Amino acid sequence: MLDLIPFGAVDPMAVSIVAAHIQAIIGAYTNIQSERSLPDYALIATRNQYDAAKILKALHGESQGAPFKLGLLQEDLCLPILTYVYGESQLGGKVAVISIHRLIDPRPEIIYERAAKIGIHEVGHMIGLEHCRGIDCLMHFSKQLDQLDGQPLHFCSACEYEVSRRMKRLVRNGIGVTSQDQRSLEK
Amino acid sequence: MARNLNVLVVDDEETICISLSAWLAKEGFRVETASSGPAALERLSEKLFDLYLLDLKMPGMDGLELLTRIRAIQPDASAIMITAHGSIQTAVESMKNGAIDYLCKPFDPEELSLVMERAATNKALRDENVMLRMQLLEQQDAIFSGIVAQSQAMHAILSDIEEVAPSNAAVLITGETGVGKELVARVIHMRSEQSQGPFIAVNCGAQTETLLESELFGHERGAFTGAVKARRGLLEMANNGTLFLDEIGEISPKMQVNLLRALEEKKIQRVGGARPIETHFRLISATHRDLQQLRREALFREDFFYRINVFTIHIPPLRERVEDIPILADFFLQKYNQETRKRIEGFTQNALAILKSHSWPGNARELRNVIERVVVLARGRMIGSEELDFLKSRSVECQMENLTLKEAERGHIQVVLTSCGGNISQAAKKLGIDRVTLSRKMKRHQLNRD
Ligand SMILES: [Zn+2]
Ligand SMILES: [Zn+2]
Repeated sequence: MLDLIPFGAVDPMAVSIVAAHIQAIIGAYTNIQSERSLPDYALIATRNQYDAAKILKALHGESQGAPFKLGLLQEDLCLPILTYVYGESQLGGKVAVISIHRLIDPRPEIIYERAAKIGIHEVGHMIGLEHCRGIDCLMHFSKQLDQLDGQPLHFCSACEYEVSRRMKRLVRNGIGVTSQDQRSLEK
Repeated sequence: MARNLNVLVVDDEETICISLSAWLAKEGFRVETASSGPAALERLSEKLFDLYLLDLKMPGMDGLELLTRIRAIQPDASAIMITAHGSIQTAVESMKNGAIDYLCKPFDPEELSLVMERAATNKALRDENVMLRMQLLEQQDAIFSGIVAQSQAMHAILSDIEEVAPSNAAVLITGETGVGKELVARVIHMRSEQSQGPFIAVNCGAQTETLLESELFGHERGAFTGAVKARRGLLEMANNGTLFLDEIGEISPKMQVNLLRALEEKKIQRVGGARPIETHFRLISATHRDLQQLRREALFREDFFYRINVFTIHIPPLRERVEDIPILADFFLQKYNQETRKRIEGFTQNALAILKSHSWPGNARELRNVIERVVVLARGRMIGSEELDFLKSRSVECQMENLTLKEAERGHIQVVLTSCGGNISQAAKKLGIDRVTLSRKMKRHQLNRD
């Protein structure tokens, strides 16, 4: 259901942990794609950052692969209007991208956990969830890393209900849902 | 997170419209976009928005002009200006023109989130218009009365005020400098039957006796050199109102006689005049001195003392009602937030602890000045203990002021000894005296090495 696409060199451990968590928490079968080269078309050279909107646009234009796509970069992401973003996604769309650039910590397991949280958050947007007021929820907008670290690795009950409702609807409508997704959801 | 807030983003750059509206949609705002001023105004002909995000620099009609046009249609419209980096001047300009906030491109996501949160809160507040207006009335009352109090002592004073205000009795307010004696006098006036009349405040300690006399009683033309015109005195002007005489302990026995006569006859004579002028006023006096003591020393007339002191209100110093400090500090914070257009949210626990432990020799007035200073200098959202560090050194100064030379010497030696870990040679060196002298002084002051 979801292709996880690493752009440029990304810690493979981070990639597989993000994929595993999306699959476990959202219930979307996640397929790790082989590494692609960095998206030069999205590079804003003056800022040494990649324009997340451009990456989304390019991913959106791809007809190959799973219907939902999540890009993952080691490089820094931004938007022309925002100085940086941890991740960006289309609300109720098909594509999202996240970066582990700013998630730095001397302990790699902290980086992996942050990446998983951001990945799930953006996938949450992708399936149509807005930000959540509750701070004990992955859909809460974390302004800072310490807020992100304070977040648990799950949705609040309201968002969790919303996730499963929307996933079931996707399955019902047969939107790009494979038998693997069915099995993944039944678990 | 659905929010009941319609936002219109106006920017000539499509990517900015798209990414901003995407971001705002995730925050639950209902967003529409327009690519120019005229396009925005066209949208406005169909519907009004709760919030406008306007790019300042657009070809044709710029953001400022657009804001003016929007306000012509929707006078209470809330707008946030989007400016380029380095155009702070224009940002300030747009705030003057009624924008509630501004953002510099590219935004820090954290800041965007904060600004939008504030705008949403703003809107929520306006929705509760009726409730807000009621709150405002209450607030105004509090501001008017200016008495912000938590402590039992101040609540007792408030109920004293309620009791005495309508009675027309003369009130004497006692308390240290800066506790807010004039404020209490004003509240009594406001709650009194003569609240529609004037409130005339005079500081009796601030001028010479002759000047004070002519101030209070007025003078006729030619009453003394320089009196080229006749002048009404403050006692006349206080007619049908309240006369507040601050520092009443400073007036001379002769002036006390004059005032006593004016109070009893409800008539005065201007200096150099003969005709009696009728005046009815309520007298409230205040002093930081012990009038009973002055009376015993025959500096204060007994008859005058009883005349002005029908009812006494004593305001305890701030250090004796520590529980008022946080609420007063917050009151002043809001006041100076408004004046300086800052949005400091409050004090950290440590900062509050410092405020509460300071002795406030200048009472509420000193607290007000301190808060004004920290608000002006503050950079963050909270006032922390570092920003109040200057209070610590200041309180040492204040304490020093009240010390005798002997006490100061003892204190200083103790501080130096402690800082040298009780090492006498070292302490003596620091103090610029020899060991023997130091030991002698220590003995005299009964100080130990620790
Ligand atoms: Zn989000
Ligand atoms: Zn939630």
